Amino acid sequence: MEGDISVTSANRKSAAITGSARKIKDNAADWHNMMLRWDRLNEDGFMAVESIINMRRAQSDQLLLNNSSSPPPSSSSQHVGGASELQDKCLKLQEIVDKMAAVVTKMARLMTSQRGVEDLEAFQFGAEGRKTPLFHSWSTSEFGEISQVLLDSFRQELLLKQTILQEVAHTVTSDLCMVFLSCWLHQPFIPTQSRLRLEALLLETGHRPL
Amino acid sequence: MSTLAVATLHQALRKSFATLESNQKVWKSVLAECSPLMVSLGNLAEQSRALSNVQISNTPLRGFPDLEERLRFKLLEATDIVLGKLNEKMSSLQSARDAISNQVASILHLYEQNAHSLDLLAVTERSTTTPSVADMLEWLQDAERHYRQQFLRRKTLLQTLRADDLSLLESAPQRWNSLESPSAEDHITDTLCKVAFFVESQ
Repeated sequence: MEGDISVTSANRKSAAITGSARKIKDNAADWHNMMLRWDRLNEDGFMAVESIINMRRAQSDQLLLNNSSSPPPSSSSQHVGGASELQDKCLKLQEIVDKMAAVVTKMARLMTSQRGVEDLEAFQFGAEGRKTPLFHSWSTSEFGEISQVLLDSFRQELLLKQTILQEVAHTVTSDLCMVFLSCWLHQPFIPTQSRLRLEALLLETGHRPL
Repeated sequence: MSTLAVATLHQALRKSFATLESNQKVWKSVLAECSPLMVSLGNLAEQSRALSNVQISNTPLRGFPDLEERLRFKLLEATDIVLGKLNEKMSSLQSARDAISNQVASILHLYEQNAHSLDLLAVTERSTTTPSVADMLEWLQDAERHYRQQFLRRKTLLQTLRADDLSLLESAPQRWNSLESPSAEDHITDTLCKVAFFVESQ
């Protein structure tokens, strides 16, 4: 994906888009930026989850070693050192998940803003909506539908990540750890079509040339 | 008569070795690009295996609807993508193999055409800078056979792989690496060294 789309004054003046269309176009840019931010956080989060799993594994290996022979005093301080490192990583992951939650909150606001545009249109034009589309071909409600679908996906994915955050440092079975990693990386609740939907949104609102 | 035939063959041999050299480079670089793809394949297989081993309903993930199917779908999708990329690489390898095979076929044909005017001496005569025609033809045939076999083995391996056949995917990276034939590759590099003076001379 390309870099952030910034709504500059040049964009504002172009084609004299005002009112509802302006709002929708700005929202589309915001959706794009939110998804980019999410992707970056996801990468950071993946590395944190991986570290936590590796540290846990090293710790439990250490434990096995300690249990199998009489532990010399030095190894216990090593163990304590490991625990605080682990805690740091968990805090780091917590930060990342919190930032992802903030992204989802912004997405929810975009959704609300979109609903506002639709309500205004219903007030102005009645139930059938406006006669000509705001951009190329989409009815105003289509923007809302896309936003809703995207929002639901990200909300569900966030819940999954929060669960992983809570559980990963306490999990010993390596298969389950691997499943946590897979879930984080592949994001099962964000369908691959989401990217396409976003591209469609950007095309329709003129952020991408047709 | 003999010298004309030898000269014709020499010209064709130079061209053949040039083709061999450039396609050897292509082969090596494409094969190198396959390595990370094979690693990905192994990783994805490992993830799929872990998912199969876990009973999601017994884990903290039990609250998530259809999590197992969704994750499995994503893993299959990712595996498909990697297999697709590997198939693209195979196309490039096939082009390299074809270039070499065609070149060797055409020079052997040329040899057949001129065989009547080539006696044993002409074919086995060599100097410090010019190997014998017989040797050079043999080396070309060896190289052609190597790439033909390599391509066949690798292509066959890939064709058996399916995104949903876990055990084949898990063993694929190791089987792929076992197809390496460093001695044959070294032999080809040696050949190119041996003919270096010959190729440069006109």
